[in-house]
Amino acid sequence: MSNSLDSYLVLSGLLFAIGTFGFLARRNAISMLMSIELMLNAVNLTIIAFGAFVKPLHVHASVIALIVIAVAAAEATVGLAIVIAIYRNKKTPLVDEYDSMSQ
Amino acid sequence: MNWSDLGSLAPIIWAVLTAAAVLLVDIAAPGRRAPAIATALMGLAVTAAVVLSLAGHTETAFGGAYVVDGLTAFLDLLFVAIAALTIMFADDYLQPRGLPIAEFAAVLIFAITGAMLVAGSADLLLLFVALELMVLPGYLLAGYARNDPYSTEGAIKYFLLGSFSSAILLFGLAYVWGLTGSTRVDVVAAALAQAAAKGSIAPGLAMGLAFMTAGVAFKMAAVPFHYWTPDAYQGSPTPVTAYLSVGPKIGAFAVALRLFVAALGPLKADWLPIVIVLAALTMTLGNLVAITQDNVKRMLAYSSIAHTGYILVGLAAYAGGQHSGISAILFYGAAYTFMNMGAFAVITALQRRPGVTSQISTFAGLGRRSPWLGALMALFLLSLTGIPPLAGFWAKAYVIVAAIQAGGWLTALAVLAMLNAAAAAFYYLRVVVYMYMRDPAEDAPPLSPGLLFRVGLAVTGIATLVFGLFPAILNAASSAAGVLKG
Repeated sequence: MSNSLDSYLVLSGLLFAIGTFGFLARRNAISMLMSIELMLNAVNLTIIAFGAFVKPLHVHASVIALIVIAVAAAEATVGLAIVIAIYRNKKTPLVDEYDSMSQ
Repeated sequence: MNWSDLGSLAPIIWAVLTAAAVLLVDIAAPGRRAPAIATALMGLAVTAAVVLSLAGHTETAFGGAYVVDGLTAFLDLLFVAIAALTIMFADDYLQPRGLPIAEFAAVLIFAITGAMLVAGSADLLLLFVALELMVLPGYLLAGYARNDPYSTEGAIKYFLLGSFSSAILLFGLAYVWGLTGSTRVDVVAAALAQAAAKGSIAPGLAMGLAFMTAGVAFKMAAVPFHYWTPDAYQGSPTPVTAYLSVGPKIGAFAVALRLFVAALGPLKADWLPIVIVLAALTMTLGNLVAITQDNVKRMLAYSSIAHTGYILVGLAAYAGGQHSGISAILFYGAAYTFMNMGAFAVITALQRRPGVTSQISTFAGLGRRSPWLGALMALFLLSLTGIPPLAGFWAKAYVIVAAIQAGGWLTALAVLAMLNAAAAAFYYLRVVVYMYMRDPAEDAPPLSPGLLFRVGLAVTGIATLVFGLFPAILNAASSAAGVLKG
């Protein structure tokens, strides 16, 4: 069991679920950003697992994983910039206090 | 890769060069607005010319990852038009608030580059990277007024839910790739056709497809994945809202065309019920909530959700066997672009003076304060309602006719779309009532939009009118572009 594709897929599925839960349950914008990173890393683990256990996918897997890492880095950069901008305006990182537009 | 591959990418290369040139011009003449705007608009004009010079070709590049066909050319032209109109409208809003235009134009053109790359993607991974290239600059634009609490608040909500949906889409993509063995759209389609012929789809594959569907539904703001839309649209600077309501939305539908039609075509009987439910929920909820809004930007945000629902009817019609559903989607996208950007442009003109809100009371007496702006706003709102003979009427008509021709449950969906269009008249016409039947505020200063702004507004107005009076012009283009295999 410990050396099969399925066990890695279950593991990455669990990581993805933890990330999703963190995104939905956390109130802090930075924690939500970290949860998204966790979800993206779960995706990477899925990709690497497919690459390691399915021979024809071997080469593609590392390329796809590298591209995903690059995209995740770009996303984190933009996200942190926006978090800093809103922190300057609102003096809080808690998203449930960003409610000036709800009617 | 060889030189002819670069030739097929020429429009995108031109767009990137334009964005870079705008930045260079800003370095050479810091803070000067006219040179930056002129460079951006000229670059976009050249990009459009390059797209036109490639039109009519059908070729693939980069080993089949990128295709140039009628759909690519149609969407590229639409995206270039969106960028040019946004830049024309933007300076009237940004200049009074002391916000720079060069960065705005450059970031916007980078976003459009991503959208153009989406339009030609024939590879799931390229589709994902292009989608990110389209939405990441969008987050920055939403927070462009970085000292304005509303703008940053809209930006963070857009960003968090946008990247959440990207992660979901990517998770689904990983499974589809792992279980079909390829990211190429045609190989995936062949593998799915094989699985469908055997009568069973592996559970992991079904899960991957479900995740990808949810991710795309987030991007196009379909109910129940629409929560980010109202705040992102209301908070963003108004020209950015104009862009966000058409650019990323049509980009998301480009993803849907490349993904659902080309890759998931063999399974269309399976995803038809999902699209029908999404379309019905999206247009009904979007319209019902729009009725209760007093802020016109927020009202147009909910109305854009409703329009997503109408466009989804076209996708459902395709899945129901009516190929004309695809050209109906493209017609709708183009018509919606001009009428919706026009409506946001009028709001921009009203908000030229900093501090003016987009509450509906701002529109009181606009018909008397500025007859031209009032008349154009009425034109755009009537077109959004779907009153003949305006572009919005034909857009709805083509979608609904395609659904009725497909028959079955789609007939019920078409009836629902018509009922929704009637309900939508209430909140669009409410603004018209304010413009013509209320007195303007005593202290309302005269409105004086800039020259470039007037040109942009004239283009949107004329397009709304001409595509309404002569729908055959646009229909010929969208039908030629809508010939997708799948």
